[in-house]
Amino acid sequence: MFKLTLRNLLDKKIRFVLTTSTVVIGVMFVVGVFVLTDSIRTSFDELAGDIEAGVDLTVRSPLDIGDELDRVAVPQDIAEIAETVPGVASVDGRVVARNTVISDGEGEPILPNGPPTLGFSWFPTQFFIIDGHQPEKPDQFATDATTASDNDLVVGDVYTVSGPTDQREFTLSGIFNFGDPEENKSIAGTTMAAFELTAAQDFLDKPDSFNELSVVVQAGADPAVVQEALDAAVGDDFEVVSQQIKIEETQSDFNAFISIFGNVLLAFALIAVFVSAFIINNTFQIILGQRVRELGLLRALGATGRQVSRSVLGEAAMVGVFSTVVGIFLGLGLARVLRSLLKAGGFSLPDGPIELQARTIIFAVAVGMGVTVLSSIAPARRARGISPMAALSDSVRLTKSGLGRRIKVGATMVALGWLLLGLGLFAGLGTQQLLLSVSSGGILIFIGTTVLSPAFATQISRILGWPIQRLFGVPGRLARENAARSPRRTSSTAGALMIGLALVSMAGVVGQSIKKTFVDTLDNSVQADYFVRSTAAGFDPTTGFPAEVEQLVNEVDDVDLVVGYHFGLNSISINGSTKNVFTTDFSAGTDHMDPDVVAGSITNGDPLGSILLNEDPAEDLFVGVGDTVVVQFPDGAVVGLEVAAIYADSAIFDNYVIDNALWNEHFNRPELLFLTASISGFSDDLPEEQQVALLASSAEAIRNVTDEFPTVSVENRVEFRQSQQAQLDSFLITITVFLTLALFIALIGIANTLALSVFERTREIGLLRAVGLTRRQLRRSVRWEAAIVSVFGAILGVGLGLAFGVAAAIAIPDTAVNTVAVPWGSLAIYVVVAAVAGLIAAIIPARRAARMNVLEAIATE
Amino acid sequence: MPSTTTTGIETDVAARAIGATKFYGSGDTEVRALDGVTAEFERGHFSAIMGPSGSGKSTLMHCLAGLDTLTDGRVFIGDTDLSTLSERNLTLLRRDKIGFVFQAFNLVPTLTALENITLPMDLAGRDPDQEWLDRVIDAVGLADRTSHRPSELSGGQQQRVAVARALASNPEIIFADEPTGNLDSTTGAEILDFMRDAVDNLGQTIVMVTHDPVAASHADRAVFLVDGKIVDEMMEPTAEMVLDEMKLLSRR
Ligand SMILES: Nc1ncnc2c1ncn2[C@@H]1O[C@H](COP(=O)(O)OP(=O)(O)OP(=O)(O)O)[C@@H](O)[C@H]1O
Ligand SMILES: [Mg+2]
Repeated sequence: MFKLTLRNLLDKKIRFVLTTSTVVIGVMFVVGVFVLTDSIRTSFDELAGDIEAGVDLTVRSPLDIGDELDRVAVPQDIAEIAETVPGVASVDGRVVARNTVISDGEGEPILPNGPPTLGFSWFPTQFFIIDGHQPEKPDQFATDATTASDNDLVVGDVYTVSGPTDQREFTLSGIFNFGDPEENKSIAGTTMAAFELTAAQDFLDKPDSFNELSVVVQAGADPAVVQEALDAAVGDDFEVVSQQIKIEETQSDFNAFISIFGNVLLAFALIAVFVSAFIINNTFQIILGQRVRELGLLRALGATGRQVSRSVLGEAAMVGVFSTVVGIFLGLGLARVLRSLLKAGGFSLPDGPIELQARTIIFAVAVGMGVTVLSSIAPARRARGISPMAALSDSVRLTKSGLGRRIKVGATMVALGWLLLGLGLFAGLGTQQLLLSVSSGGILIFIGTTVLSPAFATQISRILGWPIQRLFGVPGRLARENAARSPRRTSSTAGALMIGLALVSMAGVVGQSIKKTFVDTLDNSVQADYFVRSTAAGFDPTTGFPAEVEQLVNEVDDVDLVVGYHFGLNSISINGSTKNVFTTDFSAGTDHMDPDVVAGSITNGDPLGSILLNEDPAEDLFVGVGDTVVVQFPDGAVVGLEVAAIYADSAIFDNYVIDNALWNEHFNRPELLFLTASISGFSDDLPEEQQVALLASSAEAIRNVTDEFPTVSVENRVEFRQSQQAQLDSFLITITVFLTLALFIALIGIANTLALSVFERTREIGLLRAVGLTRRQLRRSVRWEAAIVSVFGAILGVGLGLAFGVAAAIAIPDTAVNTVAVPWGSLAIYVVVAAVAGLIAAIIPARRAARMNVLEAIATE
Repeated sequence: MPSTTTTGIETDVAARAIGATKFYGSGDTEVRALDGVTAEFERGHFSAIMGPSGSGKSTLMHCLAGLDTLTDGRVFIGDTDLSTLSERNLTLLRRDKIGFVFQAFNLVPTLTALENITLPMDLAGRDPDQEWLDRVIDAVGLADRTSHRPSELSGGQQQRVAVARALASNPEIIFADEPTGNLDSTTGAEILDFMRDAVDNLGQTIVMVTHDPVAASHADRAVFLVDGKIVDEMMEPTAEMVLDEMKLLSRR
């Protein structure tokens, strides 16, 4: 029996390739993602060690909440005290800042999309000069090798660098490798600008102070002993940490980054696996259908039902083993490809060996074997029921489970799925449970729909095929009937596509709703005439431009009011939980931004002693106007703030707002997220020409100032809205592109199923060709069959995606989404794209069908 | 008198093979399926190709019908030399000028009986001649079955649909490869009578491959193939004559 199973596999090579290909793809993605993240993690761990090498102890201020760069600066006198501690060989102050943007030779700012733009004081243990020399004068800087070569920066040339408070011209004195003398290990497109220490203190806004002190102990001294002495010497306001702790911190910073990145990739890999599971299950069903006669013969010759079902399982197991092995090897390749793709996309990662851990192999085996063996259990059970009569009868069919049962089971699964989904979205669960409940709900709905859909697949295929038949005559008729003839196959083939499209459509609905909400908010709450923001694209709330711009814009004649804004992600603590904080000028009231105040007044707020709250957190905190909220800042200060106003619209202001004065007191980040300006004498009541003329002249006046700053762009209300929408769009496109992966796999599934169907219909095709079907007509009928199946899947997918999207849009807090908007146009395009994709997927099977030799086809048993 | 065309081929011959030779394989495994067959099949006649199993009957039919190509020699349908046609033109020729009936699996399962019958015309995008179609359907006695799918028809009914399809486009010639091989003798006789009728009353030309002497007795003429060569032929054969001949041949 085993020999027969093996022979079966080897004889039908094409079938074998088709079966394994989908499993291989699933395994490949999982392995690729694991290997990539493991390899990155290892090289980051090494990098962390390299970076911290040569520094035994670090002196800095403690930090409970907020960003690493929110630590209070260490003043010069602490450095002097540290130098006197016994056992200390040297103390070097270090300065680091974000938003230090170099402009290239053309004056264009070098803005990586996402990764930080860092400024440093020169630090010899981390920077290794490869060209020129280290910065020695106040007007010199050095940059990392990748930034220099990607942007053609030349040693000796002068470049504009924009810092937290202002921008200046610097001469590039040298180019360095970061982290390793041999190789630049700067991460993922981060740009680095290093300055001589006093220049850095001045330019990066750390007057007479440092972010931290790097201490080297004398040879022979015990670092632990020195640490204790140092700790006592610097006092309670500062802490001393060992090299080991520093390395671990750096590693965990990197790890957090890798985990996000890895989890996103893993999510896509798992979607890929889920989609391939659909396809492989389908494939096994089809193959079993093709083997009914042969298995019937075996039964007639005396094989038991068990032997037959075991042979089916055995075949699946062999497919699983083979695919797993191949998938692992291809996954190793994929990891390399992904890495170079990331590199090509400006997201370079430190090079390192490709790492295959035992866990990856275990996971790969679980996926590869699990998917195949699980997928073959149902077919194997059905194989057991094949009667010996199957060998004799001419038109053999497997007994299908009754439609009634199918509807019951499918409907139950769908209902249960929605229940889980609803629970996840609306029951206020923790993140982990939410994800679990939502994803299992989604999976149940997908499977349930696939179980259910054969009930109407035939009718829908006929309807979809009707215009095709009208258009193409017999080939169209054949396409239509072939799509309709086996509803189960059509459904499960469409199922894979359904999943991909459901995800894409859901993203579309949620994205469109976010966009709509955002635009509505802009229209309703934004009163300012101009917006000045960083040209850096993306959603990074830590980007910013020099604070100096605010002053300069304010000096423009036409401008009567300028308001700056800062944002701190998880930067304050209220009642022990960290919150985001937004800032404005209370004195401006609602002149530029109107968050729909429901109680109190913004202008009444004391800049240093008040806070504005959104109504939701106000309710949660049981506070009203006049009550006090206790807020902790990153510098350790704990301040009681009086609630000056409560507002309803959180889309721009988020939930907690303080005045800029209070921000500057507790945060080390003068750079602005954006600022708004209004023009004197402008009003919506003016005649239109006058409005236009005013806007034009004032825009020019403002631009005259900001043009000096390459990292800053000025937009009027319309432009601002457009650019914000464009940002959202590009984010959505990125997600859609990733999800297209699932579509791609689904297309392989369609090609796969079609190839098997064509194979199954060999004789029929031979007959059609004999009586005069031309090759072209044959190809056409196979292609349009695929199109019908694809559109069927697309309709199911878009429908589900729409439902998911609406549910998600309702569940997402009003801050981000307060209305449901459906991108009907895009959804329609998805269906068309699916049809086209189906046509493309069918190219190869159609060609194979057309190439078939008529005589051999007729003679096929 | 037969008219002649510029090719010099007489047009009352519906199909013709000249020195038709077909090898399969090469070297030691070479099989001579056809070994210089020269034969003519006249218009308006019902011809039978007979011979023992493996004698090359099917091969000859396939080559005459443009389903397969010769190693050497030439075949004509009417005055068209098939070796000069491209794959596409061969397909179109089959569609427009040739009808087929196979031993089994004649019908497309997803199409109704009527759709199967009109398939070649639908493929050509031609409207069937309704009067002729009605006559054909009537003649096969399927008028009340036209909307059924093949799976809802008996084997004999399916075969009748196949014959109707072959006739419906009014082709120049119909090739049938053991059309009754899968049927019981009564049903088989029905089909054969019907084919006879098509030749006599509808003016069709039929070439049928068979090794059933009874089937051959319905034909006007029987050609005997052995080892890829024509060894004998017989006009107005009867079952007994054919049986005797077959016995003779198998003893050689
Ligand atoms: N595709 C092929 N490859 C190799 N040899 C073939 C092929 N097709 C037929 N033959 C050989 O050619 C010879 C003639 O075959 P053919 O099918 O024409 O016989 P037949 O007279 O139709 O027999 P039967 O009555 O059994 O159908 C046989 O010896 C057969 O083995
Ligand atoms: Mg034969």
